[in-house]
Amino acid sequence: MSNAIEVQELTYAYADGTPALNGVSFAAETGKVTGILGSNGAGKSTLFLNLNGVLTPTGGRVLLDGAPVSYRRQDLPKLRRKVGVVFQDPDDQLFSADVYRDVSFGAVNLGLPEEEVRRRVEQALERTGVSHLRDKPTHALSYGQKKRVAIAGVLVMEPDVMILDEPTAGLDPQGVSDIMKLLRQLRQTLGITIILATHDMDIVPLYCDRVYLLSGGRMVTGGTPEEVFSRPEVLRANQLRLPRIAHLMEILHREDGVEVQGSCATISAARKEILRLLKGE
Amino acid sequence: MGTDRCAYLSRLRRVDPVPKVWFTLAALLVCLLADSIAVGLFTLAALSALNLALGGQRAGDLLRFLRVPLAFLVIGCLTIVLRPIGQGEALWAFRLLGRWCWGVTEENLRLGVLVCCKAMGAVSAMYFLSMNTPMTDLTAALERLKLPRLFVELVELIYRFIFLLTDTAASIHTAQQARLGYQGFRRSIRSMGELLSAVFVRSLHRGNRVFSALESRGYTGCLATLPGQYAPGRWLYGLAAAVAVCQLLILFAERRLLP
Repeated sequence: MSNAIEVQELTYAYADGTPALNGVSFAAETGKVTGILGSNGAGKSTLFLNLNGVLTPTGGRVLLDGAPVSYRRQDLPKLRRKVGVVFQDPDDQLFSADVYRDVSFGAVNLGLPEEEVRRRVEQALERTGVSHLRDKPTHALSYGQKKRVAIAGVLVMEPDVMILDEPTAGLDPQGVSDIMKLLRQLRQTLGITIILATHDMDIVPLYCDRVYLLSGGRMVTGGTPEEVFSRPEVLRANQLRLPRIAHLMEILHREDGVEVQGSCATISAARKEILRLLKGE
Repeated sequence: MGTDRCAYLSRLRRVDPVPKVWFTLAALLVCLLADSIAVGLFTLAALSALNLALGGQRAGDLLRFLRVPLAFLVIGCLTIVLRPIGQGEALWAFRLLGRWCWGVTEENLRLGVLVCCKAMGAVSAMYFLSMNTPMTDLTAALERLKLPRLFVELVELIYRFIFLLTDTAASIHTAQQARLGYQGFRRSIRSMGELLSAVFVRSLHRGNRVFSALESRGYTGCLATLPGQYAPGRWLYGLAAAVAVCQLLILFAERRLLP
């Protein structure tokens, strides 16, 4: 078990001196999905931009595969190749009106030869399931399709770590499950380390191996989803909540005295627990 | 963006845009330089026919697009045809307020028809390009034709973000209307002003976010991308030559037959 990214006491303040991150520490294990929970304005986006060198931390350090990251100008391209960021609003990321050309951008910037760029673009379009959209103008795509193209545009750089800011925001339920399945698939086939920011509590226990709670520019708590959801009061103090099903189990336990064990954050965990209780084991 | 929608459905969609640009420019230049009614009409007919035959465009669409400049042209040409004239040579004349003599002379009539035909020929050439080449291919072509990078990148970004900008403006407009923002002249002016400033501020914010996103994908001051692969379009050069020869033949025939 090694950490693809380890962040130690990272601080960042805006140019006017307003602090945004006050000593953030967390680690994302290689090949795993790490969730960063946080309400609006908790500093998630700022944290991500620091990890990929668009912003330079004012203090602390970041380890990439155990080696400290250099934020010197000449080292930034390497950092940005290794750590890709998919932005929340795909319209901020897709700058070209042509899907194929937009996806090629990152690979062209790596200075790769043309055949290699084409190979990677094909592969990225294939993996994200948007090959059939290549001839369409960006403005004719649906929101979910734009998100996939945005992911393809980052995959084309073949990053070790992919950071996604609110990947499910603005999608319908089918779109949410499609995007999450895609991410799981990418992790399985490519072994990419995934970090995602979200406040969609219901997807966290299903897809995240580890979660951290970011609030007011610092990590409040962290652990497996099971551990974090066993302390609902911490979530609530930070404008978050339990997954719906875990909330139901909590009420059954607290109000009705049902002997629920564990947090039961997913439907299948709750089902198993209910069956156990019904059978009176 | 009517012509752009046609371009995505065109049979020439995948053809290399550079030959398409040269083909259009050749037909356009000969049509303009020939300065002849017959060549103008021929260019209009030939390029429209090629547009339908090669591009697979619907005749109804093309006619609809051709009608747009025609309206302006007819009004514009009327002012050439009908103007103050001297005594004598008029085909038809009248006195304006009893003092000025206005009318149509043979010379002015010929000039008006010439301008109209030339312009329609040129427009049909432009439609051949715009109805068969999506904007994104066109900017890729401009870049290969060595136009200044800054200019081409600006065209690309403007084209991409104009859709977002109009969407934003439309939703702000709807939100204002829902709160009676456009009742009465004074209020409309005020609301429109607020809309414009809101759109401007949002554009500024979006600009910052777009820049961050570009940087995180390795942007170093140049929006270099790789376009998809095109079908070769060298045969269009042959076609351009053929069209030019026909245009010139018609020009000579016209000069011979008409004194």
